[in-house]
Amino acid sequence: MSSSNVTTSGLEKEKNSFDTKAIWRTFWILLVITLFELIVAIIYFETHFFPKHILNGVFIIMTLAKAFFIVAEFMHLGHEIKNLIMTIAIPACLFIWFIIAFLWDGSSFHTLRMRYDGYQLQQSKTIVKPAEHKEEGKKPGKE
Amino acid sequence: MSTDLTIHGHGEMVGSQPVHDAEHEGHHHKETFITKYVFSQDHKMICKQFLITGMIWAILGGFMSVLFRLQLGYPESTFPWLEDILGKWAKGGKIQPEAYYALVTMHGTVLVFFVLTGGLSGTFANFLIPLQIGARDMASPFLNMLSYWFFWMASVVMITSLFIETGPAAGGWTSYPPLSALGDASIGSQGGMDYWITGMALFVVSSLLGGLNYITTILNMRTKGMSMTRLPLTIWALFFTATLGVLSFPVLLSGLILLLFDRHAGTSFYLSDIFISATQKALPNEGGSPILFQHLFWFLGHPEVYIIILPAMGLVSEVMAINSRKPIFGYMAMIGSLFAITILAFLVWAHHMFVTGLNPFLGSVFVLLTLLIAVPSAIKVFNWLTTLWRGNIRFTPAMLFAIGFVSMFISGGLTGVFLGNSTLDIHLHDTYFIIAHFHIVMGVSAFLGMFCGVYHWFPKMYGRYMNNTMSYIHFWVTFAGAYLIFWPMHYEGLAGMPRRYVEYSGWSTFNQFADLNRFISTVAMIVFAVQLMFVFNFFYSIFKGRKVTSQNPWQANTLEWTTPIHPGHGNWPGEIPEVHRWAYDYGKDGKDFILQTEPLGADEQHH
Amino acid sequence: MAHSVPVGQKWWSGGKSPFNVEYGKLMMWYFLMSDAFTFGAFLISYGTIRFSSYSWPDPNEVFRSFPVIGQMTVPLAFVSLMTFILIMSSVTMVMAVGAGQMQDRKAVMKWMFLTILGGLAFLGCQAWEWTHLYHEGAWWGRNPFMNINGTQSSTNFSNFFFTITGFHGFHVFSGVIINICMLIKTWRGDFEKTGHYLMIEKAGLYWHFVDLVWVFVFTCFYLL
Repeated sequence: MSSSNVTTSGLEKEKNSFDTKAIWRTFWILLVITLFELIVAIIYFETHFFPKHILNGVFIIMTLAKAFFIVAEFMHLGHEIKNLIMTIAIPACLFIWFIIAFLWDGSSFHTLRMRYDGYQLQQSKTIVKPAEHKEEGKKPGKE
Repeated sequence: MSTDLTIHGHGEMVGSQPVHDAEHEGHHHKETFITKYVFSQDHKMICKQFLITGMIWAILGGFMSVLFRLQLGYPESTFPWLEDILGKWAKGGKIQPEAYYALVTMHGTVLVFFVLTGGLSGTFANFLIPLQIGARDMASPFLNMLSYWFFWMASVVMITSLFIETGPAAGGWTSYPPLSALGDASIGSQGGMDYWITGMALFVVSSLLGGLNYITTILNMRTKGMSMTRLPLTIWALFFTATLGVLSFPVLLSGLILLLFDRHAGTSFYLSDIFISATQKALPNEGGSPILFQHLFWFLGHPEVYIIILPAMGLVSEVMAINSRKPIFGYMAMIGSLFAITILAFLVWAHHMFVTGLNPFLGSVFVLLTLLIAVPSAIKVFNWLTTLWRGNIRFTPAMLFAIGFVSMFISGGLTGVFLGNSTLDIHLHDTYFIIAHFHIVMGVSAFLGMFCGVYHWFPKMYGRYMNNTMSYIHFWVTFAGAYLIFWPMHYEGLAGMPRRYVEYSGWSTFNQFADLNRFISTVAMIVFAVQLMFVFNFFYSIFKGRKVTSQNPWQANTLEWTTPIHPGHGNWPGEIPEVHRWAYDYGKDGKDFILQTEPLGADEQHH
Repeated sequence: MAHSVPVGQKWWSGGKSPFNVEYGKLMMWYFLMSDAFTFGAFLISYGTIRFSSYSWPDPNEVFRSFPVIGQMTVPLAFVSLMTFILIMSSVTMVMAVGAGQMQDRKAVMKWMFLTILGGLAFLGCQAWEWTHLYHEGAWWGRNPFMNINGTQSSTNFSNFFFTITGFHGFHVFSGVIINICMLIKTWRGDFEKTGHYLMIEKAGLYWHFVDLVWVFVFTCFYLL
């Protein structure tokens, strides 16, 4: 059965294609993105310079970028053949509607609660003193 | 990489080489009883384990339905023998409400998961995938064995729950919270619910182990020449089934883990604003949402119904082409529609939740996506009908079941269009209409498909035929009986008769259905009895059935019929055959059938 | 695409893997795909509940402690350390895989050892964070933190936090166990006998997946 067609078909190895430099480059990218996220989060925490929901969008894009680098470089998917990339990428697209539908309905519960649930509505407006926060006294920063 | 290792795909070259080398020529080593029949790693034995376990479950689950149909059909009568077998659950020979809920819950769980998922795709994926793609065994025979034994453990846990003092889970097979999350809610929400969750978690593990194996085997282990578009439709169907399972069962697992925390760790994932009237207590839980569980459940639950129906579709397509002596009509369209159904399966789950307070705009998107399913389904139905058209039909028992499947699928599918519309669903939700719909389109159809498969491949499994007379009786009673049972339920449902009620005497409106209910119950019992006859036929034929004398009794094209009548572990005694054509060359060039292994003639086109 | 793969290869014609990988690695990929749906379901549930709540605690207020130093003016420092540890251990894992491809047993052992160390360090950090939160009064069913706007928060903040980080920690834990097994097998020379270090690659895939999940957990719980 081993015809000439099959001879080329062994696991096409790139034996010495392992690229240490690329790995470290990925590491630095991940580190920089994480630090960037962190700094933005802290600056926001101190100054509230920006609407939070736009910032959240930035965080999510950063996260997806990090995920891309982990999957493509560390998990080596970027260097596999296209067939394999597709069998992973296509099912992952199912997450899109999974997320949209769930969150859509989640925010719909919120609307319904605020409209029909008097208790929830009242709770959402009542400021409580953070009594049981033990380390309250030491707590620096802004409220 | 040396070339001589690439005998039939390098898939085996690295991992499973020992299996394929050691057993290349059948059995070289002695097998003990344990390794051959119990902890077997031979896919054909694992298939039989799944099939027989599934049959035991089917008898049990079917018997549960007989018990509650007794209550529904004869609400005034008492049956003292019920008290003998059920004890306090049927005091005075009458099924108690708690027992009734437990019965319907377990009936659903058992038949949906343990019979039509484990029993159906477990059996036929294991049996057909290696045989029809030309592989010695699954990619990982060991994980395949584990898959069965996790199924077995799940079965043990689920059966045990029937015998604990507070009884099995009784919150419906969907086990919606808060009923399933609060032990105080009902007797069936106590220990039985924990057993149910544990059993289902084990079942998910089993189905993942199996599914990963099926997908990998189909993709990686096809014999030389077996391109994806030469695969029999059975394999395509099983491939998509496994994909559905691998991607949707984990979501159920997550949902169940959260449910477990709600039950035992005081969390409020699914709980908010609850007052229990029995204990006159308001619960502290706040902020959760029971609808979240329904989303998570149905994200599995909807793919689940395709996990049930797709293998049946595959089996039917194959059997129908063989017994019409014609190529399957629209092979590529069949694959395309399977693919479309698989994708849509993940996009439509919330159509089970139209009346939960789901956002109506979101609901309208789900209506649209749901109605889209009608398109691939109709493509499949028309292709089956056109396969039959002017075929040289052989009415073997398997063929009858295949035709019966198409009939059932049409009848049940049409009512699905009713239910997919959120506005109509407000009226039809939780009535007998939905019971009729899903039993016909998914329950009975899948069963007919499964019977079709069992009758057709029984000669390959055991080297004997099943008894034909009993098979024909089995078909006609089951087919007619299923229509007689479920067709009238549409009318009851349209009249508003709700499901999950133990007793309807409180409504004078539904008194008109008393005779009809009795009729349905009677037919249900007859159909159940005939299934017992099938089981008898099955086991009788294993030992005493007419022996198969030719390698290819149905004159089929696929690879499993090129193996010996009793294939050993490794399936083919010599080299694995090479494939040169698709699986459906029937009635071509004046030949009745052409095996897939036959090389193309000079003037033939590639398919 | 790998450059060494010949052009015009008929990947799907049977008799070979259409993906140019052996079955175990393929199975690992699909397992990770399905596990991604488990985590996805958890995180999406968290999102759904958060969307349906009127307000939610501010992670910058909650996660501001550091061992020994105590309360920090700069929030999220500790979790950044954890993230760093996990990414670092991912790098060492890749190095182990690379060393395996070179058939360098000594180097594989060195890098695997470092990976395990990283995993244990991460688990240690998580244990500290859990203990700290527990002493602040947070646990399943208990939530001492106020919402960001000062209103009463439901317990679901801690419920989801402990469940999801717990489930992730469980994955890290099993990853460490797998890596220890791989280290032992390398040490015994099992992979030299079989002639390839594919098991290391599969363990590596799992390990990177754990890192991948952490990236999402980090964003969902600490940043958003």
